[in-house]
Amino acid sequence: MTMLLRKLYTWIDERVQLRTLVEFLGKKYVPVHRHSVWYYFGGVSLFLFIIQVVTGILLLLYYKGSEELAFESIQFIMSKVSFGWLIRSIHSWTANLFILTAMIHMFSVYFEKAYRKPREVTWLTGMLMFFLALGFGFSGYLLPWNELAFFATKVGTDIAGIIPVIGKPIMVFLRGGEEVTGATLSRFFGFHVAVLPGAFTVLLGIHLLLVQRQGMSEPLGMEHAPPGEKKVMPFFPNFLLRDLLFWLIVLNLLAILAVFFPWELGKKADLFAPAPAGIKPEWYFLFMFQTLKYIPAQVWVVDGEILGIAVFSIAGILWTFIPFWDRKSARGEQNRFINYIGLFVVFYIILLTIVGWLA
Amino acid sequence: MKRPLLKGFSLIAAWVFLASIAAAQDKCLTCHETIEDKPSELFKHDVHFSKGISCAACHGGDSKAEEMEEAMAPSKGYIGVPKGNVISQRCATCHSDSETMKRYGSTLPTGQWEQLQASVHGKLAVSGNEQIGQCTTCHGAHGIVSAKSPSSPVYALRIVKTCATCHANASYMRLYNPSMAVDQLEKYRTSVHGVRNAKGDVNVAECASCHGSHDIRTAKDVKSSVYPTKVPQTCAACHSNADYMKSYKIPTDQFEKFASSVHGKALLEKKDVGAPACNSCHGNHGATPPGVSSISKVCGTCHALNADLFSSSPHKKAFDARKLPECETCHSNHAIVAATDELLGVTSEAVCSRCHTGTENAKGFAVAQTMRSLIEDLERSVAHASALVDDAEQKGMEVGEAKFKLRDARQARLQSRTMVHSFNEGQFREIVEPGLKTASTVTIEANEAIEEYFFRRIGLGVATLIITILAFSLYWYIRRLEHRQSHDR
Repeated sequence: MTMLLRKLYTWIDERVQLRTLVEFLGKKYVPVHRHSVWYYFGGVSLFLFIIQVVTGILLLLYYKGSEELAFESIQFIMSKVSFGWLIRSIHSWTANLFILTAMIHMFSVYFEKAYRKPREVTWLTGMLMFFLALGFGFSGYLLPWNELAFFATKVGTDIAGIIPVIGKPIMVFLRGGEEVTGATLSRFFGFHVAVLPGAFTVLLGIHLLLVQRQGMSEPLGMEHAPPGEKKVMPFFPNFLLRDLLFWLIVLNLLAILAVFFPWELGKKADLFAPAPAGIKPEWYFLFMFQTLKYIPAQVWVVDGEILGIAVFSIAGILWTFIPFWDRKSARGEQNRFINYIGLFVVFYIILLTIVGWLA
Repeated sequence: MKRPLLKGFSLIAAWVFLASIAAAQDKCLTCHETIEDKPSELFKHDVHFSKGISCAACHGGDSKAEEMEEAMAPSKGYIGVPKGNVISQRCATCHSDSETMKRYGSTLPTGQWEQLQASVHGKLAVSGNEQIGQCTTCHGAHGIVSAKSPSSPVYALRIVKTCATCHANASYMRLYNPSMAVDQLEKYRTSVHGVRNAKGDVNVAECASCHGSHDIRTAKDVKSSVYPTKVPQTCAACHSNADYMKSYKIPTDQFEKFASSVHGKALLEKKDVGAPACNSCHGNHGATPPGVSSISKVCGTCHALNADLFSSSPHKKAFDARKLPECETCHSNHAIVAATDELLGVTSEAVCSRCHTGTENAKGFAVAQTMRSLIEDLERSVAHASALVDDAEQKGMEVGEAKFKLRDARQARLQSRTMVHSFNEGQFREIVEPGLKTASTVTIEANEAIEEYFFRRIGLGVATLIITILAFSLYWYIRRLEHRQSHDR
């Protein structure tokens, strides 16, 4: 067996110089410190993304992206297709866990100031992937074409339509018309399975390449420590095996969630039915949705909702471009102001999400 | 005996004397009598004349003035013949004032004017200048007498014609409500009420008995005494009054029975205006009990399929021959309760067993027995399938398709209860057997879903165990590896 594997390795190595890659991986080390645990959230996000791709492809074998058949096809997947219920439930749960782990990964990078030079582009690609993940969530939520999804999409696209000048064209573009109809479903299906995965894969490729090329970022203050005092762990196989262990735990969690809390299908969307009470977006949009509800209709001369959207947009842009304005961290100095902003954002998101959930 | 008589005569004489003095002082009447016009002739029989009320009370002017110019001078308030709403307003001057009415010794209510204004007759006429009905429309103008007087147009025996003056006039009624029937009087004359009224019975219902007098509203108005939910109480006002109905020798428990019935509960408790009221079966203006052989047609106005099945069944002929009231024989009349399966079959409480026994009408006996057995089978199967589907759904399984099929089984259950009225086993089986089959399919699907639920639980257990073992093995391997690496260093 070992002989056979060795022959296979040699066969590949003669053609693609595998030895160089193994040598590179063998020389790659991961810093070990009290915040090392956060490194694993990047890997677990990647693992969840892979699950999404696999389960998504399996769902594609039966899903029909049209107003007449979408709901029925999911019903068919859940009741007739062997293990269809499991695939759909895992896909839905993974989508949510993916956003959660990506968020944790983003905040850990933020608080570690790992976005500082030379990793600005890694941060940027990560942020873009996070926005794409939100797009995946928003577009995927409509695909079962059930009542909640229909009205949540209506509310979500309505909010987009509020933006002055460009809002209305964006809303019409997203909906494929003035209203949420079967055209919106087809469009969202297209975004979900073609546009977003394409863009995401490119960004993910750059992101992973940069991570491998630049290695893991060390916390501020550690990078200037003498080489003897730096604790490190080989990436291969130590870190990779630990990553794998974390993945197995997440896989177990996913299986339990999918079996004990199967993702409900609800009632088929009825375009002429009144909106049911308590329409809410997915939990990761809830803090913004709740904020918009608290802003008065008119703030001085500005429309309340427009103000809310403007504030969130500016905050999002500032957050995305933080490597370019946090000069202190770039110089390797501690920047407590950034920590306070981060803590405020985390606290705000958690609080408003809980309030929105309970409302 | 003589003393009271004498006293009575003295009072009448005094009243006549006073009235003649008043008349003598009413110069309007004096002049108009000389020209022998109709109003003055009629007015002498008017209840107002007898109370000493002069023409000026309605027409204005000075009834004591000797000269016509002075008596009929606008400066004296003379308005001539009142027109439009002024007519009713003139009447209301006294009739809405309890003090004035008391002065004339009247015990009449004083809310007629307000009631008329709120009624359907108080709405604007097509002219747009006045309300549809004025006091004089029904009571007349110069010969007004008490409603209890046989010469009054609103007297119990005359009121139907008075109302019909407008309500039987198709051209006139079309102006206000083109879809409204104009044959109420014609129908009324065929009703038990109408026939007795025509014979001089003043106690039977006429128009005002049900619709009210001054406060008449359309039947669609929730405040109307003939609004569907109010009809039973309106009829019961007479029909539940044992003293009032004594001479007619008919029961007076219809309302109690109806209120306890499935129809009564729907109408009176659930306020379902689609549920039948008294008039739905008896007719309204032509109210009369339905004939024995036409009951199925009457019930069939709502229960159409049941009635059709009954009419084409062997029971129709048999019931007619025995003069058995059709639906009523099994379901009763006013006290109809929701039909249960116990009505069917050959047990002691089943209605079939009243005529069918093992020896008498034995074929029907066997059919009734089979039908009861089939309907119970279907009931049990549907209930069992439904419980399984609920259980599977509670367990979080997707049973949308089974639930959809279950609707078909329930529909068959409903249809089977209708199909009973064919009293034909073959026709009955055509409905019940597909229902049983569907219920059986749903049971299988629901059971499969429940089995799948347990399979998932077991599957999860196995998968979790494997993943956990893998995780532990990996953890152990990492520890061993790092231990070895630290030794190597």
